[in-house]
Amino acid sequence: MYFDWYYIEGILILVGVNLMVVLGLSLLTGFTGLFSFGHAGFMLIGAYVSAICSMNFNMPFVLAMIMGALAAMAVAAFIGTFTLNLKGDYFCIATLGFGESMRLIFDNLDYFGGSRGLPGIPMKTTFPVVIIVCVIAIVLMTCLIKSRHGRNMIAIREEELASQAIGINVFKYKMISFVISAAFAAIGGVLYAHYLGYLQPLMFQLTKSTELTIMVIFGGLGSIGGSVVGAFVLTFIPELFRAFSTWRLVIYGAVVVLIMATRPQGLMGGYEFTDFFRWIKRKITGKKYETPALLKEEGEQS
Amino acid sequence: MTDVLKLDHVTKRFGGLTAVGDVSFTIKEGEIFGLIGPNGAGKTTIFNLITGVYTLTEGEISFYGDTLAVKDPYGDSFMDGLKRRFFFKALKPNQIAERGITRTFQNIRLFKKMTAFQNVYTACHRSATYGIFASFLPFLPKYRREERMLKEKTETLLKLMGLWEVRDMVSANLPYGMQRKLEIARALALDPKLLLLDEPAAGMNPEETIALMDLIREIRDKFQISVLVIEHHMDLIMGLCDRLYVLNFGKFLAEGRPEEVQNDPAVVEAYLGSPEEMKELGGVKDA
Amino acid sequence: MNVFLQQLINGLSIGSIYALMAVGYSLVYSILNFSNFAHGGVIMLGAYFGLYAVNLIGAPFLGAIIIAALCAGLVAVTLEKVAYTPLRKRNAPSLYFIISAMGASIFLENIVIVTIGPTFKTYPELIDKTPISIGSLHVSRLDLMMFAVAAVSLILLVLIIEKTKVGLAIKACSYSSRGSSLMGVNVNRIIFVIFLLGGLLAGVAGMMFGMRYTVYPQIGVITNKSFIAAVFGGLGSLPGAVVGSLLLGVIETFAVAYGESSYRDLVAFVLLILVLVIKPSGLMGKVTEDKA
Repeated sequence: MYFDWYYIEGILILVGVNLMVVLGLSLLTGFTGLFSFGHAGFMLIGAYVSAICSMNFNMPFVLAMIMGALAAMAVAAFIGTFTLNLKGDYFCIATLGFGESMRLIFDNLDYFGGSRGLPGIPMKTTFPVVIIVCVIAIVLMTCLIKSRHGRNMIAIREEELASQAIGINVFKYKMISFVISAAFAAIGGVLYAHYLGYLQPLMFQLTKSTELTIMVIFGGLGSIGGSVVGAFVLTFIPELFRAFSTWRLVIYGAVVVLIMATRPQGLMGGYEFTDFFRWIKRKITGKKYETPALLKEEGEQS
Repeated sequence: MTDVLKLDHVTKRFGGLTAVGDVSFTIKEGEIFGLIGPNGAGKTTIFNLITGVYTLTEGEISFYGDTLAVKDPYGDSFMDGLKRRFFFKALKPNQIAERGITRTFQNIRLFKKMTAFQNVYTACHRSATYGIFASFLPFLPKYRREERMLKEKTETLLKLMGLWEVRDMVSANLPYGMQRKLEIARALALDPKLLLLDEPAAGMNPEETIALMDLIREIRDKFQISVLVIEHHMDLIMGLCDRLYVLNFGKFLAEGRPEEVQNDPAVVEAYLGSPEEMKELGGVKDA
Repeated sequence: MNVFLQQLINGLSIGSIYALMAVGYSLVYSILNFSNFAHGGVIMLGAYFGLYAVNLIGAPFLGAIIIAALCAGLVAVTLEKVAYTPLRKRNAPSLYFIISAMGASIFLENIVIVTIGPTFKTYPELIDKTPISIGSLHVSRLDLMMFAVAAVSLILLVLIIEKTKVGLAIKACSYSSRGSSLMGVNVNRIIFVIFLLGGLLAGVAGMMFGMRYTVYPQIGVITNKSFIAAVFGGLGSLPGAVVGSLLLGVIETFAVAYGESSYRDLVAFVLLILVLVIKPSGLMGKVTEDKA
């Protein structure tokens, strides 16, 4: 193992790529309660569309990124129309089917290089670009979650029937969540394509989707801070141990099973960094959370 | 007085089982209407029909003269299933809520991990109008104004229901009675015209039940709404409701003012059972 | 016409192997209500156990099948104990089970890559390669054998479920495991049994699959198709799983014979999405209605 900035920078760019997808997945899984095993498919769409935009149409990077995101959003809207009504497991099975079919379709499209791959993509993803994109993404996502639309999504996660009863259009909000999360995944794919300079459908297998979902779970469902931590830890550490790359995935799998068995809410399930700061502040000032008087009376009687 | 909700020969069958058979009643404006009957009589099914969770097998439901639900013309076959999927446009539960009917649930369905405040705050969403793109720009004046308004509304509702002190408690940790009240607060957040309460006093002690009666009346007067309530507590039903409808095994049994219903021999029999019937059923009436 | 019959037989024989795998998914789904994605890993291990039984011990065909089945059954049961029992104790939502299953499948796949290596391995010739000719039809002995083994295994499974007390308990649990436990059924034991049964069949299927094609650590990805067959027939329904698998096998074979072979895998996934859109509960699946 050796450390130099070039190496670390490369890993950090990969962290950024994964973070983008994980943020999208976090919206879908952590805040809306829908599990997807097909987000590698959206990554793939974003990556390929933007790569073609950059290579064949000489578009500037930002425009290529937008094109990639729009393409993924359109596909998500189409797929979502048919699948978002499915209950529980069936939705996540449908997304699995979608992700795999995307890969197989691109395997056979000669325009996109087929299974041999698409080389020669301009390497425009630099470290500052990734930082800027990720910061914007985190801010936007936080704003969305805090708005009334975000609250509606959380309500759907908590109790679908009750959210309908308070006038939330469940299908519409699932669709919004799905489309936005596809856009985030696509931007992750765009960054990935322009970092590697080379694409192959094999990069976006089911395992990739699974890994991404696992990052969300590891970080903690329903927490943007958790997603950041999840993406960082689960990208950075395995990359550092690339020397033992054969054992990497074995440990990875075992860790997932272990987490689910011991702490399924993830590292920071439901909590944000701000909650943590508040908690520290309480510790320092020595102020405890006060039980409301209403409840105290009841408690003292017993 | 105008008719608020009208059920016209409403029937719901699940396969061969008739859960609700030929039920008709009308709720007048400003009325507190009680729906009672033994367990399994189909009361909650009626709620689910009104709120669009289930589709009707027969009959019609209308709300302020507008049709709310009509019967589902398709059968159980595969092709009918497809046709239903593509052609049958029933109002969805959320559309019915938007029209002004909100409800509480028998087995409490709060947003469990949210605090009491967030539960009501979320439910107020229809009072704000900013769109999905505006939520990315939270510094806009419209956004700030509307969010502030939502918070004020939430505060009013929580104070009314006596939950303001526990606003920061996670709703799943609240005592049972408070959870039921919180559900009512959440239902009121949409400014309904008709409030459906499914066993609001279940799990409450007698004092709490009496307080709840006053509270429901207060809500009715303050918001000028009508209330349809399912309840088992006879004290609550008799003291609260203007009129009652009694169901037994999904069928009409009696209707009228509380004291009329109370003395109706059919109702007495359904609740206590005639001696012969007790033997016949082997005491499994509630199944 | 001959080509048609030929393809039909091919399709049925591969479909019968899918059926062995799909039944494992369906058994677990019928009681625990989640899709056990680690099943692919068990099938893959079954293929390896069979291979080593043949290569190291020199076991005959039937002996190897039994060894593969027993070892795979053991793996499946261990998996249940390690990965799912803690979740069951906590009444975790079914999606947590899926994640755990995904983790377990990554683990199984890579532990094989690390210990045995990622290379493709082939079974030695256990069954005569010369095809049987009926008129102008040529049917490979292996295909026939696959079909026969699958049929016998499935009949055994049906006998266990229909004729034994354990089978009755399994059926009871698939309606309501809570209700059954209140009636004195030991649900833990039933879950042990279904994982064991699923594992045994997975071992048989894995070995047959390995003999027909090759053995490699990513077999589990291919077996996802048998999962699709289970969805196709209706998750949780055993007849559904068998019918769905046979249909998938036939459709796939025809798609390859009359269409583009590179789209072979795509057929399964497109079929999956179509089924989910048109009839989400599959051909014979159990329908669950949300209760208010």
